[in-house]
Amino acid sequence: MEKGNPFVASLHEVENQLELSLRQAFESLEPKLQPPFSLDIPDPQESLELSRAILYAVLCDSGSSKTHIKLLHALVTDGYAFFTSLLVGTVVELYGKLVDSAKVQLLWLTKEMIDVSSVGLEDLLVSLLRRIGSGDYGDQNVWLCFELVSLFLDKWDCLLEDAPLVLTSALYSFLRLLADHCRVSGIPKLENMKRLEIKFCVKMFREQLRLSLKIGRDLVRLLQDLVHISEFKEIWNDLVCSDVSKIYQLKTSSRYFLLRITPEMETQLRFLLGNVKLGSHKRHQIWFLKKFLLGPEKETVLIDIVRFICCVVHPTNEIIRSEIMPRWAVIGWFLDLCKQNHHVEGRVKLALFYDWLFFDERIDSIMNVEPAALLMLWSIPQYPHITHSLLEFLLHLVDAYDVACRDMIMRGVASAFREIERKGVVQSLDMFLSNPEIATDLKKKLANLLSCHQDIN
Amino acid sequence: IETEQTVLHCLHNQPNSNFLCTERQLIRLAAFRHFSLLRLELSPSSILSLHRYTSDTHISQIRFPAAQNNINTRFIILDKARSISSPPAASGQSCIALAADETAAVHIQLWGDECDAFEAGDIVNLTNGIFSYVRNGGLLLRAGKRGKMEKVGEFAVAFVETPNVSEIQWSPDPEYPKRYIQNGVVSAYSRIFPPLP
Repeated sequence: MEKGNPFVASLHEVENQLELSLRQAFESLEPKLQPPFSLDIPDPQESLELSRAILYAVLCDSGSSKTHIKLLHALVTDGYAFFTSLLVGTVVELYGKLVDSAKVQLLWLTKEMIDVSSVGLEDLLVSLLRRIGSGDYGDQNVWLCFELVSLFLDKWDCLLEDAPLVLTSALYSFLRLLADHCRVSGIPKLENMKRLEIKFCVKMFREQLRLSLKIGRDLVRLLQDLVHISEFKEIWNDLVCSDVSKIYQLKTSSRYFLLRITPEMETQLRFLLGNVKLGSHKRHQIWFLKKFLLGPEKETVLIDIVRFICCVVHPTNEIIRSEIMPRWAVIGWFLDLCKQNHHVEGRVKLALFYDWLFFDERIDSIMNVEPAALLMLWSIPQYPHITHSLLEFLLHLVDAYDVACRDMIMRGVASAFREIERKGVVQSLDMFLSNPEIATDLKKKLANLLSCHQDIN
Repeated sequence: IETEQTVLHCLHNQPNSNFLCTERQLIRLAAFRHFSLLRLELSPSSILSLHRYTSDTHISQIRFPAAQNNINTRFIILDKARSISSPPAASGQSCIALAADETAAVHIQLWGDECDAFEAGDIVNLTNGIFSYVRNGGLLLRAGKRGKMEKVGEFAVAFVETPNVSEIQWSPDPEYPKRYIQNGVVSAYSRIFPPLP
């Protein structure tokens, strides 16, 4: 490894374009980064090159960071937009290749960008949040999580003023991470981190409730895993006593479902669901498994992956009609992967059915409920036990998810069923109602649900 | 030629990266140096397609013999097996792997530290490669002395496992003594790495 090189060297791998551009800019402009600085205003092209050189220099070496950043402040004419875009590129494409000291520098630069309210700040902070791995309790990941939650607490006032929605994104991320962190015990380094995560989330609820509620209905899904923590029990009670049905009515924007998926996961899932033919998918599945799902705690990310697939990946009609791997098949595979872990399996099923519970055909998308419907349908010939367990789970949710809002949930699920028939996702609901493979009592319950909530129009 | 701004605008408004003909235009534009920001926006599979605009060979086009180092191609590694030579070669380990692109599959040989540098799922660019018979290995695609294999990505290639150009029988063309022609298929799929059940 070269002295000061912020990136891990790898033989046999082509150098990433961004990495190359940063390094080349540094190599050609290094003398200009030291005082005395030229008083000439650089032309636009040279400005861009200087930004690249400054980024590389700061990542290499913490000693001269303050000098380099002063030069950046002097040069900038675009609200730091280009420099921030370089930082975003580094986080998205190169984070895994940064040496530990360079990661420290990256976070230092992020704080500098917050202090100057740079253009593109929200993208940068969201990219960093997405780098916190799920079910990863290694030193590097714990460090990143700790640094980010500290950053959100320390820079609270700046962020509230300049990029309030980024606080909402952080809330979603840390609520979700806390649910996993609280199930892990016996790791002392996690305790400090958990304390800060709780502190941040509670602060959001107590001081910025309106902002927190912008998350929408998935906020309830996240919060219910935390009610065993005393600080959240109070918050939960307050929310439930006020009008929780209003929260259920607010659809969660798909941008939240990207937060717990890394860019590499997103790329691979989109490729799998957009390019790989059913029948040629086995090797891709093995590679995905090896890269993201090996490890005792890693299954937890399946909850977020399933939510992402249902709500964010909406294939075109052309893809649906082709032989390309359908979403229901990928989800079936994920469910199979976590069937030994009842905790995760239950939450994956909840993530799969969550949009059914409050479905309103005027505002909710049929594409969010289509995967579950098709999984239940296509499992019938060879795996009727899958259809059975899914249908049973859904009907149980109707009864037990929120007893106070049972009526609303019944209406939601009935609407979802009716919509999948109306739009032709399944030819007819008789495929479930009259199917001999499905237990009689389930068929009765389903028929009852559908008849109690006829369309009023 | 559209300006970078217009192109970026199109990209942002078409999040699904499956628009084939427009993507080609974007790829052509991205090949120009000043569209450096555009490269950051392109999906990894599009960036890989950039390599296709040089005159790269598809796996299905690889001809035997190609004992000159002149094969430039790109493939994804499907599976890797350990040493093919026993006892291990004096100069280091070697192993055989199954690779493929959208058109065909092939057996490749990894030599020395290449064996550990590449894993199944890696997308590899081969420059100045050779395709020839190797003792105990059959017809193998490899870097050889003057060639180079480099990882350029992961995962994003939709490949086929048949035909496998290493499992094809070649014999001399009766009309042109120095040329070889395909004389039949030994096996539709790799016999060393059969398709997964």
